[in-house]
Amino acid sequence: MLGSGIVMRRRIATLFAVTALALFFLLGRVAYLQFVRGSELQRRALENRMADIRVDGKRGNIYDRNGQELVRSVSADTLYAVPVQIKNPRETAEKLAAILGRKADDIYKIITRPTNFEYIEKKIADPEKVKKIRELKLPGVYFQEDSRRVYPNDNLASHVLGYVGIDNNGLAGIESTMDKELRGQPGWIVQERDARGREMPQALHKYIPPKDGNHLVLTIDATIQHFVERELDRIMVEHRAKQATIIVMDPKTGEILAMGNRPDFNPNQWEKYPAEVRDRNLAVWLNYEPGSTFKVVTAAAALEEGVVTPNDRFYDPGFIMVDGERINCWAAGGHGSQSFVEVVQNSCNPGFITIGLKLGKEKFCRYLNAFGFGRPTGVELPGEGTGILYNEKEITNVNLATMSIGQSVSVTPIQLITAVAAVANDGRLMKPHIVKEIRSPDGKQVKKIKPEMVRQVISRDTARQLRGILEKVVLYGSGKNAAVEGYRVGGKTGTAQKAGPNGGYMPGKYIASFVGFVPVEDPRLVILVVVDEPEGMYYGSQVAAPHFQAVARDALRYLGIPPKIDANSKKDKEDKNTKKVTVPSLVNLPLTEAVHKVQAAGLRSRVEGAGEVVLEQLPKPGSVVPAETEIILYVGPWGEVKEGQEVTVPDLTGLTLQEASELLGMLGLRLETEPGATGYAVSQDVAPGTRVRAGTKVKVRFAPPLLESGP
Amino acid sequence: MARKKAPDFILFIVTLALITIGVVMVFSASQVAALQDFNDSYYFLKRQLLWALIGIGAMLVIMRIDYWRYREFILPFLLVSFVLLVLVLVPGIGKVVNGARRWIDLKFTSFQPSELMKIALIFYTAHGLATKQQHVRSFTRGMLPFLLVMAAACVLILAQPDLGTAVSLAGTIYFMLLAAGARWSHLAGVAGAGLAAVAAAIAASDYRRERFLAFLNPWKDPSDTGFHIIQSLYALGSGGLFGVGLGRSHQKFLYLPERHTDFIFAIIGEELGFLGVMVVLALFFLLIWRGYTIALKAPDTFSSLLVVGFTSMIAIQVIINVGVVTGSLPVTGIPLPLISYGGTSLTFTLMGMGVILNVSRHCR
Repeated sequence: MLGSGIVMRRRIATLFAVTALALFFLLGRVAYLQFVRGSELQRRALENRMADIRVDGKRGNIYDRNGQELVRSVSADTLYAVPVQIKNPRETAEKLAAILGRKADDIYKIITRPTNFEYIEKKIADPEKVKKIRELKLPGVYFQEDSRRVYPNDNLASHVLGYVGIDNNGLAGIESTMDKELRGQPGWIVQERDARGREMPQALHKYIPPKDGNHLVLTIDATIQHFVERELDRIMVEHRAKQATIIVMDPKTGEILAMGNRPDFNPNQWEKYPAEVRDRNLAVWLNYEPGSTFKVVTAAAALEEGVVTPNDRFYDPGFIMVDGERINCWAAGGHGSQSFVEVVQNSCNPGFITIGLKLGKEKFCRYLNAFGFGRPTGVELPGEGTGILYNEKEITNVNLATMSIGQSVSVTPIQLITAVAAVANDGRLMKPHIVKEIRSPDGKQVKKIKPEMVRQVISRDTARQLRGILEKVVLYGSGKNAAVEGYRVGGKTGTAQKAGPNGGYMPGKYIASFVGFVPVEDPRLVILVVVDEPEGMYYGSQVAAPHFQAVARDALRYLGIPPKIDANSKKDKEDKNTKKVTVPSLVNLPLTEAVHKVQAAGLRSRVEGAGEVVLEQLPKPGSVVPAETEIILYVGPWGEVKEGQEVTVPDLTGLTLQEASELLGMLGLRLETEPGATGYAVSQDVAPGTRVRAGTKVKVRFAPPLLESGP
Repeated sequence: MARKKAPDFILFIVTLALITIGVVMVFSASQVAALQDFNDSYYFLKRQLLWALIGIGAMLVIMRIDYWRYREFILPFLLVSFVLLVLVLVPGIGKVVNGARRWIDLKFTSFQPSELMKIALIFYTAHGLATKQQHVRSFTRGMLPFLLVMAAACVLILAQPDLGTAVSLAGTIYFMLLAAGARWSHLAGVAGAGLAAVAAAIAASDYRRERFLAFLNPWKDPSDTGFHIIQSLYALGSGGLFGVGLGRSHQKFLYLPERHTDFIFAIIGEELGFLGVMVVLALFFLLIWRGYTIALKAPDTFSSLLVVGFTSMIAIQVIINVGVVTGSLPVTGIPLPLISYGGTSLTFTLMGMGVILNVSRHCR
């Protein structure tokens, strides 16, 4: 018998047809997914499974304007773990701890985290440690090529350079503002991973190499920066100041040749310094009342607007009444009758207030603006202040009076030096800048930053006239301590009482400053020295001007700018006829030997400091100077060369084995020779003048003197 | 009664072929997770192999027990199934996995009462319809009783919740009613009511609504609601014609969820490509063809409906499972019969195959 009737048979056939149709539809759907959308889905699936590890390029170096290395990147490998691959975490942790000098428990905690990637130690500086760890061949422990930032000059120009974080990201200074250039393009290791991030068999790998960062050439001159740092140290010692800043600028280009602050920091160990020290570049950050140095601006505006001429007469009874308020001159009893030139020379307050009021607030404010006050200069440094100016509409006559003498106006050091540089540059205000060139990783020039003129603030004639007046300040007025023998110096002192938090002025707290330029006839350098809260003496003329003088004197010699006090003097004519000689390398020589060498070269020597060894010299070795030029030898005591400290390799040529060995020994360097070497040093593998770390080996070749081998 | 013939050879071979493919693919798909979770690549393979052997043993036994012998046990069987389906909902008895209370933990293994209910209900419906075949064209007397029992079972299954099993069970009973000769007008009405019920079930629960919306646009939320379907499409799409090779799936590296259970078809598509998919679907086609053919040739109405029931159960599960994996249906957890990992499903499916094979021995 057949169980199903005719209806059931038809119905079952229907069911079969329906289900079979559904299966065909699904087969078609799979075909669509695999053939029509296959490549798209496959690509998306792959992207979904890829895990990326970022690989940074080598960060670019930073050089000074002469190519001296200020910052460099050195290879430093980063150690990381893939915890799931570690077979014996306890043993691994103990082995690594022994090499890295860390606690085994700490490492154990890191490598047992339930992740697929953990850093154990970033940027291991010691290649020996890296080698030892590699030799252990520990499973799940790997190195990633990395680089570490080294600042070979430690504190030198620390605020300009800044520092980088653990990921080589610029955190301050040029490192921060030029981060994009220095950093380059990160590369990637792209690897297919399982859903929990572990490597999988038959995984697909792709390596996109990183692009190294560009090098920077700064406008900074390391040698001038050295002078600045030296003077800053002296300021801090001699005046026990709270803080200080010095800027040296080339007025023609706006290039910053040196910039330094105290307190400063060592970018190699930036973590050890408080944030307010390492992140505050006072030279651009500090807002302060400039006091009398600001009178340069008042004078420039008044001369340009014709409200005053050099010979106009003023009378100073020791005070001036403005809208019923009495403002005293700093000199008790006043300066009496004086010309405008003398007003500037004496820094006479009533005189400046008179011309300020004559100028009027509208014109005065126009010049403040034109000189760039009240807004950042745009120099390539982070954290720049804007200064504080009154709103023009709110300025009363009393405000105008005090502003004319540099009170109740707040500026940054970079603003002030830029304004004074405009006077030194025939009235042309240049945009201050500190990056000179950008170079590709292989050293080719990518970009050259050209000097940028912002505007003509005052006429060339006014500028020159004012420079002449400011020279008198140094010749006869408050700026005498700034005078540099042999050069015409112009400038202005400033001593401003500091405003307290409640608006009034704080007794006994001053900012002493000096801003000046040299030579007056064609200024090459503008230098600003600001000393905040000096103890004891506090006048700009006493506290700031001498350090202007020291920086200017050394920088002028270093730059080879000829002294030219009296163009018609006989001496000068004689000099033109004397022969030129090359300055020998004297650094690290014992003093007696150095003096002897100077004499032998037909030069004169002057010794500064106390000690038996030459630490620095001026002009620098290799300079061509007229015979009988005075060479300044900065000397210091022997020894106490700490391991790792940087020293300059001396010229050993002509020394005996014993002499060379003694000299190197005193510098903390090690002599290496061939066995049985005799005679005199003829060559050395580290060139004289190279800066190296104490403890470095210098290989010297000795040869018997020619005479001995002769007949 | 005629002398017993040999069971349907093609169906027998097709069944063994599908189980074999299933065991191999479960191993391939589960290997990574098994190593990860149980530190043993063969963890799931061993269990699936064991269940396959148990299942085949059960199939061989049932193949020899004449189908009509069950008829007197159907009612108690159904009652036990209902009791277990209620018990599984009791916390402490029912084990919660992935937010659903579907399993009763028997210590050595877990047991899914809904799988038992499927078989019980197929027997019950086949028996009932065969008994009062003269009323089949009447709604109240022919259809309603079966629909009510089915609805009761479905409500209990939905309470777990397990929409996929409920739908496949309802579909199976519906197919049996259709085969038995119910009026088209009644069938259409029931279908309409069923769809409305499913729509209501979807609308009533947040997670079902999200899944349904994700089905309409999986890329909207690829890391959450669209995750299953996107990972599944990635696997299928990566397969191409020949696949990436057996054991070489990339998506099985914990990207694709439920890779050795509900989404094993995606791994087949990735590793064995379109050809592999075609072979599997062809085997299921053969299975369905042989099943319905046996139903046509069955000696009586009861056996014919019994075979329609078991064949349809497999057909519906295949269609829903492959529909979900290919993104043609909203995601609902339902295993691919005979292939997906899972002891209860495999054993009960094989027992169903045993019934079909037994009926085939009595065909003309």
